[in-house]
Amino acid sequence: MKIVVCVKQVPEVTNVQVDPATGTLIREGVKSILNPFCEYALDHAVRLKQAFDNISISAITMGPPQARDVLLRCLELGADEGILVTDRKFAGADTWATALTLAEAIRTAVPDFDLILVGKQAIDGDTAQVGPEIAEILGLAQITYGVEVTLSSSRKQVRVTQEVERGYEVVEAALPALVTCSKGEVVRRAPSFKDVLQARKKLIRTIRADAIAIPEGQLGLQGSFTQVVKVFPPPAKKTNTILQNLEVEKAAQEIFSFLKEKRFL
Amino acid sequence: MHEINSRSAPSADFSKVKCIEGFECIQAEYSAYLTDESKLSARPFDYLFFPKSEAELAAVMAELHRRNIPMTFASARTGLVGGCVPQEGALISLEHLDQVQAVYRDPASAEWRVKAQTSVSLKNLDGMLRIKQFPGLEQSPDPVVAQGLRDFREDPNQYFYPPDPTEMSASLGGSVVTNASGARTYRYGPTRAWVRGIRVFLADSEYLDIPRGKYFASPGGQFVVWNTQGVASTITIPDYPQPRTKSATGFYAAPQMDLIDLFIGSEGTLGVVTSVDVALLKREEKVSIIQFLDSDEQAVQLAEAMRAESRLQLDFLEFYSGNALNLLRELQKVEPSTVGMPAIPDDARGAIFFEMSFDPHTEELEYAALEEVIASCGASLERSWAGYESRELDRFKVFRHMVPETINSILAERKKQYPGIHKLGTDMAVPDGHLQEMWQLYKSCCEELNLEWYAFGHIGNNHIHVNILPRNMDDLNNGMQLYAAFARKAVELGGSVSAEHGIGKIKSKFLQYMFTPGQIQQMRRVKEALDPKGILNPNDIFPAEVHP
Amino acid sequence: MLIIDHERCTACKVCIRNCPFGALRIEDGLLQVNESCTLCGACVNVCRFKALGIERKQASPEELAKYKGVFVWVELDEETTPRQPRKVVLELLGKGRQLANALGEELVAVVLAGTGEVDLQVFGQHGADRVILCRHELLETYSTDGFTNVMCAVISAKKPAVVLYGATPHGRDFAPRVAARLKLGLTADCTGLEIDTDRQLVQTRPAFGGNIMASIITPYNRPQTATVRPNVFPVPEKQPAGSAVTEEFPVTLNRSAIRTRVVEKNTLVDGSEASIEDARVIVAGGRGCQKASNLDLLRTLAGQLGGTLAGSRAIVEQGWIPHTRQVGQSGTTVGPELYIAVGVSGAIQHVVGMSSSKTVIAINKDPEAGIFKTADLGVVGDALEILPILSALIEKEKQMQAASS
Repeated sequence: MKIVVCVKQVPEVTNVQVDPATGTLIREGVKSILNPFCEYALDHAVRLKQAFDNISISAITMGPPQARDVLLRCLELGADEGILVTDRKFAGADTWATALTLAEAIRTAVPDFDLILVGKQAIDGDTAQVGPEIAEILGLAQITYGVEVTLSSSRKQVRVTQEVERGYEVVEAALPALVTCSKGEVVRRAPSFKDVLQARKKLIRTIRADAIAIPEGQLGLQGSFTQVVKVFPPPAKKTNTILQNLEVEKAAQEIFSFLKEKRFL
Repeated sequence: MHEINSRSAPSADFSKVKCIEGFECIQAEYSAYLTDESKLSARPFDYLFFPKSEAELAAVMAELHRRNIPMTFASARTGLVGGCVPQEGALISLEHLDQVQAVYRDPASAEWRVKAQTSVSLKNLDGMLRIKQFPGLEQSPDPVVAQGLRDFREDPNQYFYPPDPTEMSASLGGSVVTNASGARTYRYGPTRAWVRGIRVFLADSEYLDIPRGKYFASPGGQFVVWNTQGVASTITIPDYPQPRTKSATGFYAAPQMDLIDLFIGSEGTLGVVTSVDVALLKREEKVSIIQFLDSDEQAVQLAEAMRAESRLQLDFLEFYSGNALNLLRELQKVEPSTVGMPAIPDDARGAIFFEMSFDPHTEELEYAALEEVIASCGASLERSWAGYESRELDRFKVFRHMVPETINSILAERKKQYPGIHKLGTDMAVPDGHLQEMWQLYKSCCEELNLEWYAFGHIGNNHIHVNILPRNMDDLNNGMQLYAAFARKAVELGGSVSAEHGIGKIKSKFLQYMFTPGQIQQMRRVKEALDPKGILNPNDIFPAEVHP
Repeated sequence: MLIIDHERCTACKVCIRNCPFGALRIEDGLLQVNESCTLCGACVNVCRFKALGIERKQASPEELAKYKGVFVWVELDEETTPRQPRKVVLELLGKGRQLANALGEELVAVVLAGTGEVDLQVFGQHGADRVILCRHELLETYSTDGFTNVMCAVISAKKPAVVLYGATPHGRDFAPRVAARLKLGLTADCTGLEIDTDRQLVQTRPAFGGNIMASIITPYNRPQTATVRPNVFPVPEKQPAGSAVTEEFPVTLNRSAIRTRVVEKNTLVDGSEASIEDARVIVAGGRGCQKASNLDLLRTLAGQLGGTLAGSRAIVEQGWIPHTRQVGQSGTTVGPELYIAVGVSGAIQHVVGMSSSKTVIAINKDPEAGIFKTADLGVVGDALEILPILSALIEKEKQMQAASS
């Protein structure tokens, strides 16, 4: 049985600072990480691999050459192979062009996949669109917001506990299917140093534009339907009062007075 | 050269310096200044000053000196021995002296250096070095400073300041005057090894600029300081040898020593450091590894084996006892996320934590030496955790601090029932070859008395922190006796009673374990030469009760 | 056009049963398509033999101009009888009205509903010109496949210029599928929408966790589609006299098209508390609350203020509160009158989810915490010590008020 996990390299966004003068992101010193939701997807794949025999996990990512780093992380955590989809021609892709490229790359590299796991969204773009778009392009059933993923004993069905607005639902679909994951291990796994060393001996395949069956006009920026026309800093924040170095009683009193003044009491 | 001239600072108006007067007022509005991380409480004192510049500081010091008012100096207040907790007189907070003044490449050594005021925090310094942005330097009117910054930014490498004394909110100046050390001392030595220059204000408010490598003690063991009035003070350096371990116990002394080393580690008793020049080192990528083991003894054995393996260059080598791991397991049971790491393996009964250089991008990773030494002690790298991304290194670091932090919070709870109780944390280092002996003593004594205890820390420097947590007053008394016994044993083995925390106000009684009364007297003479009125950080190192 | 690969086609007729437009039939044993086909793609998706494909050409400006009208997908609140739209739908009708006016085109509410009663008046009263009503028993509850098929049929038949969806879990689930099937641009989580001088829809959304804003257009194809964050645009004032024409849209939907099956529902015992999306007062906890039991202090305060408890992603992931109470970019966008952030560091992802709150109070130990930038009142201190005292003050005040009245 083959599981494909789609992953993305993202900047560690919580640290991204905006240059107040230019309104652009300060990228110096900002590290890249495996998108946390993608790591959850990988968690679920690894758990399935531990629970059932004969499962192999392919981690796939589209990005610049340095996106290889997140594949290494996946290999350390239990993926069996990595697939790096990289080409200058892919640059500037919107969610549609990304999904189309990834879907074709999966068809090329792992044609006999049974299950695709993806993160619910990436913490840089936050669109949550690429997963469902891949599912549509590959004609798969999709289940979003998965928190638990299991297989039926026949391994023909995937059963997913899904977050819904009022709680949880358990949803089943026949394989092949695509599941987007919104939760995994509460605490990130830590590979052993043995795992780290062995990951570097595993295979990472590279797929370039000429290896997939998409006309060039449908790749990257050219193949994107949406275009970013302007980037600007968020609107200025309101002015405010910050109180420091207060005794706790005084602090509580200040909040209390504020609530009264604003008529919340 | 063994003679140096002090200079007077530009003048400032004493009356304009921000000052809080009266202990009640300080208690009500500035309670944070009444203690430090040692939790020692201040005795009533009269003034709290906030000088904004060296000129203001000099004005305050001159006035207090004239009026014979003792002055205690504080910056980040992260010390563990109460050094900056005042007992009388005035407290001078240096917190506003917090600017980086330059980043420059020293032409002679070709090393990058930072010049910064005393209260720049280690954390902020590290952050600024990472992003190569230094507020204030960008617009510097000094073309040399501006050029230095441009050159630094153009250098494609990343640099860092190697001393890593665990508490990153500590101030740079504070870490210099205490010669702070920590896990990375294993590879890089203590703070002393990285200080290239200091500016130090003396008791009479005049200051010395001391670059490293310029002022050395005369063959007769003396320094002479001339002030602007033409008066000379003669310092005779003590003749005791330094222990063969890291040490933060008393003044540094060595034949023909560099004057700068007298002030580094002097805990502010000889002068107040306002600005330092420190060296940087090229930052390399690292991997943190926690190796789980079957017993504490296996950990001690592995630590010695790793240290002996010349092919391994470790940044640090730390220890967790089995009971320390149990403490963390309890935390994980209640709340899996607090520890920030996955569940500690059930069969782990001890662990070694180390860090080394690691390039995640090379194809060929050769760690045969590591695998061999670990296998030779009967352990396996499969039972380890490894992390090398910056966020991973961060969470491993948090894990490293988790044991002492947990112990402190347990004790804070216990104090509510027994107010007299406090932690007994050893800070003793012994020379190589004595680690096993010292460990056996720690373990057998604590177990014999059935004390609650945990051990962790810098096993690579033979410097394990044993923390005894008294459950009642009996435990406390037993623990205190043990502590004294440990201290004597450490000295007997040629070690240090305070390897990194310093003496301050709460460890002064241990000075006598390491030094003879005559040697302590030599230290006092140094102090008297530079601070004849005894008004700088009174009660630190030398307890007031026995002051002549 | 629809391409049929007769080599692969087995004439199983599944596609025929799923075609919303009756455009497919078997003639002489071969599958054929007629001019009723709108290229909605339902057949391509259900074909197990990969015998069907669609070739789409990039449209010319004249072609684009044929797409008219602003469509809003109406998400119904499944808890109401007769079915009412969710609040975000009204917000979208308000914004959609402005867009439709700017284009000089009509505003259409697209209702996908089961066979039960639906309040249809409300749409006209909030600005819609027309309601397209799609009824089918399989639309009674949400399914990705069912809703995708029907929405694709509506869009391909009616050719709107703009389609808006609420960025709710369901909206975010099927809008990208519709976009991928019809090969449309889709912009996620918009917080700003306007029509520019070229009659393009300019869609503005936060990116990089809200650190920057990006304006996006979809220049070469139609419709332009977007999901829109709830609680960003105001609900328009209700016009009691407003009315909309209702048009029934014939739905063809077959159970075989729906590939997922809900086998268990587990509603959290959470019903007594208001949902955070609509709450007037929210007390939100973050990592700084240190442990789950400390949230009781926040619950108490929320109770006293007639509010509800919410939290940051950090504490949801630790399982202290359910995901239904998560505020932020990967949770719910809220817009209460009062938002009290307790021990919330204020990662930008959190802030974008609560920045439309009218009044914000933040309590945090770290003076550098980002949350203080959004707060009207910020207090640097230990919330775990401050909250009990604050609650005691409020309690005293309430007793005094009760006594005096």
